Amino acid sequence: MAPAVLVTVVLFGGALLGAVKQSVEPSLGGGPSTWNLDSWRTLLASPGFLDALRFSAQLALIASVLAASLAVAVAVALRSHGRLVRSAFSLPVPVPHLLVAVVAFMWLSPGGLAQRALGRLPLRLVHDPLGLGVILVYVYKETPFLVLLLLAVMGSTLREREEAAAVFGASPFRVLIWVVWPVIRRPLLIGTMIVAAFVFGAFEVPLVLGPNYPLTLASYALQAQQKSPLRGQGVAAASLLVAAGMSILIAAAVMRLARTADA
Amino acid sequence: MDADGAAIGALLCSGLTVARGRAPVLRGVELEIPSGTRTALVGPSGAGKTTLLRAIAGLQPVQSGTIELGGQRVDGLPAHRRGCAVVFQEPRLLPHLDAAENVAFSLRTAGVRRVERRSRAAALLGDVGLDGFGRRRVGELSGGEQQRIALARALCAEPQLLLLDEPFSAVDANRREELRALLVALQQERRLTTLFVTHDRGEAAQLGERVALMLEGRIIQHDEPSVLFERPSSPIVARFFGSSNILRGVIRAGAITLGQCTIPAPGPDGEACLTIRPERVILARDGPLELQVLETTYTGTHTRLRLGSGDLALVATVAPSLAPAAGAHVRVELPIEDLWRIPLAHEAGEVPAQEWDLT
Repeated sequence: MAPAVLVTVVLFGGALLGAVKQSVEPSLGGGPSTWNLDSWRTLLASPGFLDALRFSAQLALIASVLAASLAVAVAVALRSHGRLVRSAFSLPVPVPHLLVAVVAFMWLSPGGLAQRALGRLPLRLVHDPLGLGVILVYVYKETPFLVLLLLAVMGSTLREREEAAAVFGASPFRVLIWVVWPVIRRPLLIGTMIVAAFVFGAFEVPLVLGPNYPLTLASYALQAQQKSPLRGQGVAAASLLVAAGMSILIAAAVMRLARTADA
Repeated sequence: MDADGAAIGALLCSGLTVARGRAPVLRGVELEIPSGTRTALVGPSGAGKTTLLRAIAGLQPVQSGTIELGGQRVDGLPAHRRGCAVVFQEPRLLPHLDAAENVAFSLRTAGVRRVERRSRAAALLGDVGLDGFGRRRVGELSGGEQQRIALARALCAEPQLLLLDEPFSAVDANRREELRALLVALQQERRLTTLFVTHDRGEAAQLGERVALMLEGRIIQHDEPSVLFERPSSPIVARFFGSSNILRGVIRAGAITLGQCTIPAPGPDGEACLTIRPERVILARDGPLELQVLETTYTGTHTRLRLGSGDLALVATVAPSLAPAAGAHVRVELPIEDLWRIPLAHEAGEVPAQEWDLT
């Protein structure tokens, strides 16, 4: 087994096993003394959990699709620019999500810097029920990440192939579809999958900018733990296992899609 | 298209100027290629050959000048509407398509159905010696095979003008010979107007019905290959085509004095610049010039001799078995019929580039 796979299996698999154990362990608050599925029953019966699941999926889908679409447009526009412009555009990548979320809060919250500068904001972006502020922050953070992935494969070889396609009658749109897309498809799908999985399990940006209800899955788990430190642990673990399971499903679906597209 | 359905078009470039930043790359290029003919564009690296080809194909913006193809101006058209096909130095095939789909790429852009385009691609693959290769992926093909696919792709487009940019430079020497012969055969069969870029004067002579020499962004001489080799318009053309024998002097009564010796020379009396190809210099026992062999170089097919005496320097090539040793004294004859008198107006290869213009 390759060392990287071993590390992943030990770390990720170990954490998952720990969560599974916690989700079926007897509650420390005086519940049944043998292993049981009470935490799962509580979780699945909770309307707050189902709404959190739907809300997390909605945020992951919208943020990742928007970031991917923007990334393609930006990468096509940026590829002919020099290293300076590319570096400037990739600046948001190393900035922590929490920092971006806090800065966004300072600017976009009611009475914030943007409102003071502009008078009023056309949209409510902080604590709004649709999670628009959360999506905005993830699009801002993840688009440069995807652009970097795309620019890595859009080198001089691709440009040469584009020229060849053009002299054989392909219009710029057809060049994009027939020459560029087959090259960027795989890294774009994989990058988008990473973004979707990340957003699906993230909690810091929704905590700062998200609505009080519905919560994201990670926020739901945190809240369950905080509400009842003893009984809530199993529910929190079960809800995080759902988030992890969904991320694995997204990854599997996208990998399958990438393979199908390559065939 | 002509009556037989073959795509043909004459190329006419007038005053073509291209600059990269402030540096001029093409300086008013004039080039005409009659329809159905093959021209080799030759010159050293950096002369602007590839830039000219890219400008004609629509891949390089031009600052001024016009490009006509088949009597129509095309310099304002984007690359995909020019009706040119290019075989690049690298095959530039699309790796996600198989060989047949690469060959038929132009048919795909024209909206031809898959069945028909694969059938036409199969026929063209046969023409370039790759029968049955249609389903092969690009990664499974050798460099030579990929270049044949690139040639088939260009032919499939039935272009008005076929442009080739040193297409065989990455192919080994034996394959290169094969590919040159194949190219000539296919071009003649289809009567394609063809511009072939190369830096190899031998390849230019072999492939071009006419050869255009480009230096520093200008066409210096454009004629049949034998003219450029044997009747160069300037010393610099002579040197590029392998004749470093530039003899200066004054012709009086049909003879010129070189060193201590006077030999017959062509043309009227007056200042003259003569050139003779190294392979036409004859080592003869009764030759009028006595020179010393300064250096011998074995080249595989012949031996190159550097000869000298005082200010007089000559290069000669002889069969390896006849080569004298370095240091030997030999007598040399320069047959008058092989001496070419370079026109005086262009004789100074050292003069600034703008004075090379032949027009």
